[in-house]
Amino acid sequence: MAESLFQRARCVGAALFALSTLAAAAAPPPDLTGVWGNAPGLPGGSGRPEAPKLPPFKPDAGKRVAAFQALVAPGGETPGQYCLGHGMPGAVMGGGGYPMEIIQRPDQITIIYELHGETRRVYFGDRNAAQKDRIPGRGGYSSGRWEGETLVVETDNLTEQIDDRYPHSDQALVVERYSLAGQDAQGRRLLQVELTMTDPVFYDAPVKVTRRWAQVPNGRLLPYDCNEEIWQMRLEELASKAGVPLP
Amino acid sequence: MKTRALFTIAALLAAPLALAHHSAVQFDFTKPVEQKGKVKQFVAANPHMRMTLEVTDAKGTRDIKFEGHSTNNMYRDGYRKGMVKVGDEITVRIAPMKNGEDGGYVLGVGMSNGEYFGARSTRSVDAQRAREVAESK
Repeated sequence: MAESLFQRARCVGAALFALSTLAAAAAPPPDLTGVWGNAPGLPGGSGRPEAPKLPPFKPDAGKRVAAFQALVAPGGETPGQYCLGHGMPGAVMGGGGYPMEIIQRPDQITIIYELHGETRRVYFGDRNAAQKDRIPGRGGYSSGRWEGETLVVETDNLTEQIDDRYPHSDQALVVERYSLAGQDAQGRRLLQVELTMTDPVFYDAPVKVTRRWAQVPNGRLLPYDCNEEIWQMRLEELASKAGVPLP
Repeated sequence: MKTRALFTIAALLAAPLALAHHSAVQFDFTKPVEQKGKVKQFVAANPHMRMTLEVTDAKGTRDIKFEGHSTNNMYRDGYRKGMVKVGDEITVRIAPMKNGEDGGYVLGVGMSNGEYFGARSTRSVDAQRAREVAESK
């Protein structure tokens, strides 16, 4: 009798476990749609997260990065001053308190960073382009998948960037793991990413960074026109040389 | 162009303007100072605003060029188009040049009518935030 009850209990337990597993598997992923800004006071939550402790560069890469940094050091020049966006992984780390917007669909997540208006498209499943059709660039190509409630984004097809805070070669692979991380004191949802970049050409060890955001209630991104200013200044220069007022 | 014209209150034509966006390394964000002057040019732009003030002080009267936050960050700190006009007498709070030359990074702008945009927090927080923003470009 006791054994029978025990067996029944085991069966019921197994059934409940199976049901809960099915329910978890069927549960939709969290909706990350919204505008996300700084999460002051939290590690990785400021407008300019601490620069990661980069692992040592491989010798050739180290020489090139050092040469680049020596070139721009006198004026502290950066791509952003010339309206060039960060690309990956710099865009994720952001800076200056500019928010980002996430627009989530089942087959694609679009991430727009207000700074420089950088836009990333993360494709899921059949929406992905074949590897041979992916165009290399500063932002690379991003594909995504859900592992439970964690969004995993892999970015490849990057071009070499020695001019970023996270220098890398065109062989770099960036993996981001996004998850909701509770709420802050104001009741805002928190989002965090654990980013890992591996690059066999530049590093022997992975680059790892954590970044956090807080959701901005009813947030709106502002347009970030930047190239227009360069054009405007060129027109002013032309007008000045011609000795005429700016039309 | 029309939109640009709204932001470009006036263009200084006296001197050629090369692309002149600078990094934060040349500014001293730890010692903000105030400077008064008359607006000769004010352009809200990304990545940096730019402004020319006619300043009169112990060194005499001259035009001084400044730069500062992006339009977006100024907007979030209270700036709205039309707030600054050519001819306005204003007071700017700036991170001065480290080398002591004229110019600086604009942290906040106070108009003669009492309007203000820029971070209102303590000087140290203001400077820290400004440095973060400036260095993020």
